Amino acid sequence: MFNLALKDIQQYFKDRTAVLLSLLLPIALMTIFALMYGGIGGSSESKPITLLFTDQDNTELSQEVYSTLDSLDGLKLVSKSFPEAKKLIQKGKNASAFVLYKGFQDSVNSGQKLPMELFYDEAKEIEVGLLQQALWSNLFGITMKKNIKGKIDDWIVEKNPELSADEIDDIREQIAEQFDGFEKSEDNSKLEEDSELPMTALVGEKKDGNLGLIQAISGVAIMMLLFSVSASGASLLTEKEEGTLRRLLVAPISPSNILYGKMLSTLFLAILQLTVMFLYSWLVLGLDIFINLPALILMILASAIACSSFGIFMASVCKSRKQVESLSTLVILVLSALGGSMMPLFIMPAIMQKIAVISVNYWAMDGFFDIFWRQLPIIDVLPNVLVLLGIGFGLTTISVISFRKTILRMM
Amino acid sequence: MLKASKLSKSYKDVKALSGISLEIKKGELYGLLGPNGAGKSTCINILSSLIKPDSGDVYFDGKLLSENRKTCRQILGVVPQEIALYEDLTAAENLLFWGKLYGIKGKALEAKIDEILHMLGLYDRRKHKVKTYSGGMKRRINIGAALLHDPEIVFMDEPTVGIDPQSRNLIFEVIEQLHSDGLSMIYTTHYMEEAERLCDRIGIIDEGKILREGTLAELRKASSIKEEISLDFSNPEKNELLNLKKKHENNLILNEHELILSTNQSDVDLPILIQDCLASQLKIENISISNVNLESIFLELTGKSLRD
Repeated sequence: MFNLALKDIQQYFKDRTAVLLSLLLPIALMTIFALMYGGIGGSSESKPITLLFTDQDNTELSQEVYSTLDSLDGLKLVSKSFPEAKKLIQKGKNASAFVLYKGFQDSVNSGQKLPMELFYDEAKEIEVGLLQQALWSNLFGITMKKNIKGKIDDWIVEKNPELSADEIDDIREQIAEQFDGFEKSEDNSKLEEDSELPMTALVGEKKDGNLGLIQAISGVAIMMLLFSVSASGASLLTEKEEGTLRRLLVAPISPSNILYGKMLSTLFLAILQLTVMFLYSWLVLGLDIFINLPALILMILASAIACSSFGIFMASVCKSRKQVESLSTLVILVLSALGGSMMPLFIMPAIMQKIAVISVNYWAMDGFFDIFWRQLPIIDVLPNVLVLLGIGFGLTTISVISFRKTILRMM
Repeated sequence: MLKASKLSKSYKDVKALSGISLEIKKGELYGLLGPNGAGKSTCINILSSLIKPDSGDVYFDGKLLSENRKTCRQILGVVPQEIALYEDLTAAENLLFWGKLYGIKGKALEAKIDEILHMLGLYDRRKHKVKTYSGGMKRRINIGAALLHDPEIVFMDEPTVGIDPQSRNLIFEVIEQLHSDGLSMIYTTHYMEEAERLCDRIGIIDEGKILREGTLAELRKASSIKEEISLDFSNPEKNELLNLKKKHENNLILNEHELILSTNQSDVDLPILIQDCLASQLKIENISISNVNLESIFLELTGKSLRD
């Protein structure tokens, strides 16, 4: 019994790739998920929320609001003009923008309704929810005291026209002395409820709950595509293992053509798979794929090129089909976790959102979100298309070099 | 047809080929006989342009292979040791694919495929997936895939490995047919019976060197091992036997009722011996000849068996 166990352990450690993967895969996934949930280092601090700030009032009070909000630990303010802020939200670069309109200070002093508005992207509702809470509680502290004081002031003058200026000042001083007590009173919660922060969705306002659908479709489509193309790319190693590659290599064609042929078939399968998945999403899940068909076709092509080159890349750097299967599982799970296929990026820590750009999933999903969620014109999808084509070109180049070096050497 | 001179190839510290030279004439079937690891496959891989030698040159019809790779590949066919076919495709689909790689198209390709399938005896099974074939049938299609472009020379790397004797015979028939059609071939094997049956000339290879080459008769002649002819008699007359021994200058060994002659030309000596026996009124009951075969020649040359 012990001999058998010992033999099995011995065999396990002989296969260094298997050892590496069996240990590396769980460690890698554990690390990625810990980073995603923000648990690394034992810190419970949440990432600061970036808020675009548009000050159209340009008064002492509006600047005070800016300084107060900017000094908050959980908030990072970035000044932008309103058109700039709007564009950034529409392109999915930022979640929200807070606008103080002209007349903000006057309205506060006169106790009028405050001219301010929060613009946001519905796709980032969790981030916006947190922001709304932080924003309102702090804004209330700054503005409401002045706002109520102003209202009382006006009321005194209006209701007591017979009082002299000295008498009014005296009353004002007495009210001011008492006002700090009011601040601590529970009545202000009632006031807070009565007041409201006007909010306008810049992105997603036309759609009814399609966000989850878009996340699910684009996330799963890309992740599953990576698995499919890896299997397809691995057929290159099957050709080697079964001897057909040798026969191909003595035929009057160049070795690169063998690789390009594999790429072409993998690309075809990738396009087919994505097309079928989006058609299914349209027919069964109700996704409007015709919202921007040229952009969708472009994104399908670019994603298919990037993903198929990934499949060929994996096959060209691995020595056996078994190795491709193990390694690609590891890499795809990591890329999918990083790129947002498993969980929306906006709920991940800032550092993870920055790391996400190394993942093909990120660029593909972001492009599909541009089409279906943000409903951007084709020109705004082009950067994603170019990045995906760049990934495809880069991986293909490495694959050609690697194919010549490793596969041919193994013959 | 093919000339290779001083081919050498090493893999790290292992010398796979050490200065091999060989020449194949048009229509000749040349056998490379040697045990596993002798260098046969490396030699075939170099000749078929799959790998480059560390030194040495290969010429096809006077053209240097390293400088005319594409042209040379058009005139050579390779039957790999593995079943290099797509098992999920039918035999016809496989042949269609391999044919297209050599630029053959349309009706010409279809006609060629039919011709090859008929020759291989697999026309009726052409629409069946290769994975449903027996080992021997796969081996035949494996050969067929190397013939589609009408090559001038075909390299067959142990094309009968792992199949039953009946299937092996079918493959021999195909090879003999190709040989009689004038196709030049290099045939590697570690089965001496195959080399003896099929090959015009045989090169005995071991540890990356061709130790001896020639026709089977030439190899036997060059060997120091003698053949043994044994004769049993129904009326073993002692005196007659002794006379016979004397006549053959004591090359005969008398062993009770049996005469044993050691020779390296049994085809010449046996008729003479029979004639002498008849003249001496000795009635031959049994004749047995132990030939010098390639196995014994290989043993003589290397000190080890072909199957080691």
